[in-house]
Amino acid sequence: MSRRTAIQIGTYGFVCIAILLVPSFVDDAFILNKYARYLVFGILAMALSLSWGYTGILNLGQATSFGVGSYCMAMSLKLKTIPVHTGSAGLPDFMVWNNVTELPWFWVPFHSLGFGLAAGIAVPVILAAALGWFMFKGRVTGVYVAIITLAWLVVVNLLIIDQQRYTGGFNGITDLAQLEIFGFTFDAYDSSIFYLIGVCLMVSLFFALAVTKSKAGLILQAIRDHEDRVRYFGYDVANFKIFAFSVSAGIAGLAGMLYTIVMEFASPTFIGVPLSLSVVIWCAVGGRQSLLGAMLGAIIVTGMQGALSESETFLETWTLIMGGIFVAVVLLMPKGLAGAAEALLNRLLKSDDNETTPITSAAHQPPAKRERAS
Amino acid sequence: MPPTARISKKAACRMAEAIITQIITGLSISSILLLVALGLAIIYGTTGVINLAHGEFVMLGAYTAWALQTFIGIGLIESLVLIFMCVALFGWIIERIVIRHLYDRPLDTILATWGVGIMAQQAIRLIAGGELRYVEMPSSLGSSISLFGIETSAFRIFVLVLAVALFGVTWYLMYRTSFGMKLRAITQNREVASAFGINSNRIYSLTFAYGAGLAGLAGALVSPLKSVSPEMGTTYVVDAFMVVVLGGVESLVGTIASSAILGEVTGFLAFYTDDTIAKATVFFAIVILIRFRPQGLFSTKDRS
Repeated sequence: MSRRTAIQIGTYGFVCIAILLVPSFVDDAFILNKYARYLVFGILAMALSLSWGYTGILNLGQATSFGVGSYCMAMSLKLKTIPVHTGSAGLPDFMVWNNVTELPWFWVPFHSLGFGLAAGIAVPVILAAALGWFMFKGRVTGVYVAIITLAWLVVVNLLIIDQQRYTGGFNGITDLAQLEIFGFTFDAYDSSIFYLIGVCLMVSLFFALAVTKSKAGLILQAIRDHEDRVRYFGYDVANFKIFAFSVSAGIAGLAGMLYTIVMEFASPTFIGVPLSLSVVIWCAVGGRQSLLGAMLGAIIVTGMQGALSESETFLETWTLIMGGIFVAVVLLMPKGLAGAAEALLNRLLKSDDNETTPITSAAHQPPAKRERAS
Repeated sequence: MPPTARISKKAACRMAEAIITQIITGLSISSILLLVALGLAIIYGTTGVINLAHGEFVMLGAYTAWALQTFIGIGLIESLVLIFMCVALFGWIIERIVIRHLYDRPLDTILATWGVGIMAQQAIRLIAGGELRYVEMPSSLGSSISLFGIETSAFRIFVLVLAVALFGVTWYLMYRTSFGMKLRAITQNREVASAFGINSNRIYSLTFAYGAGLAGLAGALVSPLKSVSPEMGTTYVVDAFMVVVLGGVESLVGTIASSAILGEVTGFLAFYTDDTIAKATVFFAIVILIRFRPQGLFSTKDRS
């Protein structure tokens, strides 16, 4: 293990422990709930970093996986509500209002919470793998991937709003039961939810780190830097891309499930263009080529947003400021805050780590000027 | 003639009428798609910039039309040239300030233009308010005219004719003027073209401005048909990108053909199901298509 990897693991571990210590200092349930939401966005941004920063797949539809995960969780929790909230024969209330007489077949398995939890990750993975198969086997790259994922997001969003009978339409799925696993109930306004999300964050962060440190992870980065060369080496580039795309979708699905638990509803805005755009912004600000950077970027930006939008004047102009910051970061600081931190680290290590620095830093070089997409 | 035969003839007549109505509706959708996609395709084909702010250019065009009509009282048709100039100027400024720094980072242009898009959207929301605005249809085109025995809105026909005319102008500009020749030279090889003394920076900004102006015109022309809101651009930009994905980027012919196909298919599907299902079906069809024909229907180049 190189010294750099050790520092990286140390930093990641330190941040995770710091996050898990937060409830010891904060005992206001509402503030904890708010922080828990920021952490969920951190997981979501980290997932995007895996596909965008490490593999070069700019997924503008990251919110699709997030929203699908969130709906899976909500479907399961909806069916767990006490009979007061549901219609006859255990039908969810909005189906009764829409004159649905029988539970649709794809809702039935969600009676099992275990199925719901598995589906929250599996469904986004399957959808992403299918879309990825069509895109990457067709050798669609770069900007076209961005556009197709964006269109995918818009289509799924429209479908969910359109199929009100089965999805709750514009209102989403509300009035959910609380998540109960092995007799333990996770209250959305309690430190238990914070710990649940904190642990999920830690697990997914280190899982993603392990992926990037594996041989497959190195190939992913090679694909990002020069796809054709990897293909000449005999690797099936499409399969690796589908892999990264699906893993990212799975983690985003997990984040979506957690978001449903902490918000206590699922809404079509979770599959909205604005959210998807925000994820890209967080990632860019924090540093797309660093898992931790993307995660912290999300936490910092959403935290700032939460703090600033409480005051009247900023509520309106916030989006404007955010757009400005985003454009500035893209223009002047393409590697985000993590890039700046890395430059600092390089300077510190340079004096006494002469043998390893040139090799490892080569992997962090910006990709050579890519040929223009035409 | 037996009575049943007469009835079936009548039914066939009504059937034909319905089909012609559908074709005209489809053409109307196509003409708007073409207007939006044309600017997008020119900008992308020439500079390699994916302009996600294109939808906001459309929106700005619609708001300019609204502002000119509400505050100054200029009718829609008279203000078209002014709208084109305004949005083109805006596009030119954006290109000068932001885009020109990103020509060797094509993926980042998506992000930067997206950022510009949200800023434009929010700025309009702050200035003009978030509520829906309505632009009046020009009174001279408010009536309906008869086409193949079908009553059709004169304005929709006007949009169709104008879209085709603008397509012609663009084609002329690209293939029959020295500006177009320079532009095509840069598209083929920027370095060599520059070595021959072509000022590529200037051509790029003009191209970008022209594409933006076309989007602005599209926005102005849809404003009497649909309500005007700060978010209106998003749907147009996604649809226009589908046109570009389907048609390929090299040929103008691809753009017009795929606009026609997408408009007609969406129109017909929407007639039998509803708008959302039609959109979703068209999207899935395109995804399946790119698996087997990644370069689009009308292009020979790879998507890399």
